[in-house]
Amino acid sequence: MIAAAYDIRKAYHDSDQIIEVLLGTCLEVDEHDFICITGKSGCGKSTLLHLLGLLDAPDTGEIHIRGQQISALSHDAAAIRNKDLGFVFQFHYLVEDLSAAENVALPVMIAGQSSAKALVRARELLSILGLQDRLNRYPNQLSGGEQQRVALARALANSPALVLADEPTGNLDPGHSTEVWDMMRKLNRELGQAFVIVTHDVEAAAKAPKRYELTSGVLISG
Amino acid sequence: MDRLEAFFLSRYLKAPKRNLFRFSFVFMVLGIVLSVGILSAGLNLFQGYESTLRSLLLDSFAHISVQAADGSLLDQDQANEVIAKLRTHEDVTSAIPTLHYSLMAQSDAKIRNANLKAYDFSLEFPYARYIENYRIPAEGEVIIGHYLAEELGLGIGQSISLIYPQLDRISPLGIYNGLQSYRIAGIYRSGYYENDRSIVIANLKDAEQLLLLPDTISKVELRIMNPEKASAAVRELTHLLDPGYLLISWDTYAHSLLQLVEMEKWLIFIVFAFLVLIAGFNVISAVSTIIIDKGNEIAVLKTLGASPRSIKRMFAWRVGLAALLAVITGQLFGAFLSWLVELQSFYRLKGDVYFIDSIQAGITPFNLGAVFVISTLLISLCIILPLKQIDRVQIISLFRRQT
Repeated sequence: MIAAAYDIRKAYHDSDQIIEVLLGTCLEVDEHDFICITGKSGCGKSTLLHLLGLLDAPDTGEIHIRGQQISALSHDAAAIRNKDLGFVFQFHYLVEDLSAAENVALPVMIAGQSSAKALVRARELLSILGLQDRLNRYPNQLSGGEQQRVALARALANSPALVLADEPTGNLDPGHSTEVWDMMRKLNRELGQAFVIVTHDVEAAAKAPKRYELTSGVLISG
Repeated sequence: MDRLEAFFLSRYLKAPKRNLFRFSFVFMVLGIVLSVGILSAGLNLFQGYESTLRSLLLDSFAHISVQAADGSLLDQDQANEVIAKLRTHEDVTSAIPTLHYSLMAQSDAKIRNANLKAYDFSLEFPYARYIENYRIPAEGEVIIGHYLAEELGLGIGQSISLIYPQLDRISPLGIYNGLQSYRIAGIYRSGYYENDRSIVIANLKDAEQLLLLPDTISKVELRIMNPEKASAAVRELTHLLDPGYLLISWDTYAHSLLQLVEMEKWLIFIVFAFLVLIAGFNVISAVSTIIIDKGNEIAVLKTLGASPRSIKRMFAWRVGLAALLAVITGQLFGAFLSWLVELQSFYRLKGDVYFIDSIQAGITPFNLGAVFVISTLLISLCIILPLKQIDRVQIISLFRRQT
């Protein structure tokens, strides 16, 4: 098992209101898994993904990465996010001042590799994702689908155990959306890359081998 | 600097237009350049004033004056004995007898007070450099200060009357009025206003006749190798003479004045350093804007595992390099401003207030270093303070704001 969430509870304080979004949620992710999580807006899908990605800490419950319990507040969390986890968000969040290749090279450089090595890895990944002729383009010179594929390449830069994707196609038109879904499935099928994807796209999620719906703060297998 | 920081810095340097010429950045840099420029120019001008004043005081006056301790005048034999003894000291470069007196200078109805300085021109005369087309004045000729000539409306070749009332010589006709007319042989202009306004340089013989003081001098003027150590030289030279002589170094009178000028220089430095601090507020604002502007970038870097320290250093290098260039440019701008002020001729100092009438700039390595260190420290502080916000950037709240 590469990642797991056990009995996760999370609530938000909004003025004098307490909004409980996760009420004892559990999820286990094995190697080569391709998991899609759907649910209504505001049901806590993104929150679950953020907790699993050590970007936020649960009120109660445990997060395990590669069998080790870990807290988002611990000193190791940043290193684990860098090496074991990859992130794709609804917005690409690419660094505007860096080219596509440089953006993809970032996690490798953060891990301590030289920029030359990191850029070699970035070119390799962008070629796999069909962006070999977009290496030196800046984010604003790429289409929405290309931007999201660069973000996907960045998530894969350090060969993470798990890629967490939060509405990766939520901002794309149907054509680009299909392009990104196909790419993620291909990576899972051909490279065995594990994905946990939160999405509103029920049709695309239906094609996933493992599907969950987040309802009333718990995951129900779909 | 780690690899990530070096990588980001190299990208910023390779594409400065894309990264450095942002609106807030440009005004931050302009603020630093202007404030450091004004600080540098202020210090350069005060340094120039101090140096000019010091060098004029050293060049226009004796480094050490030797006179009778009881204030009486010296006869020629005493003067010769003093000169012979003092010349034996290796630091003494010249020793000349002089007669100094206050008197009145007159041309037609205009009368001004003047300081007569009489020299034996057959010996050396150390102030020739201040006289245009200098030639040794013959008997019956004098050299007068530039402003004295201007006030009396006189020029070379014209005649000036020197009046010395002999108050202790009363005849049945009244006070004996020592009055002689002299031809003006030259105009003295040192830049030291008080001298230029009052000096009258005459032959020793002419002065003795006017003052009715034959074979008399008032003091021996010494010039020494290292005038900065005049007080120490006085202590050594005193031992060469009899106890009846008093040696006074130039800094006895000038020390307080120079100290005051130096204090004013550093006060101006402190006041102008506040301008850099105000420019620093602009830096705080620019860095805060960049942090807000780059909030997503910071969140992404944190998500990808970069430490807040590393992210802070990335921004610090980027802003710091621009600020460093701005400080250096400011110093160059300050030197340029000083040069312009030195070059201009429409404003001159009031000599009767500031002792000198010309504005000179002085650039010293120490002052350059002081401006650089203070400016860099203040600006660095203003860069580091807002960068602390990066520690407080919450990845989740930034992402949630976007969705």
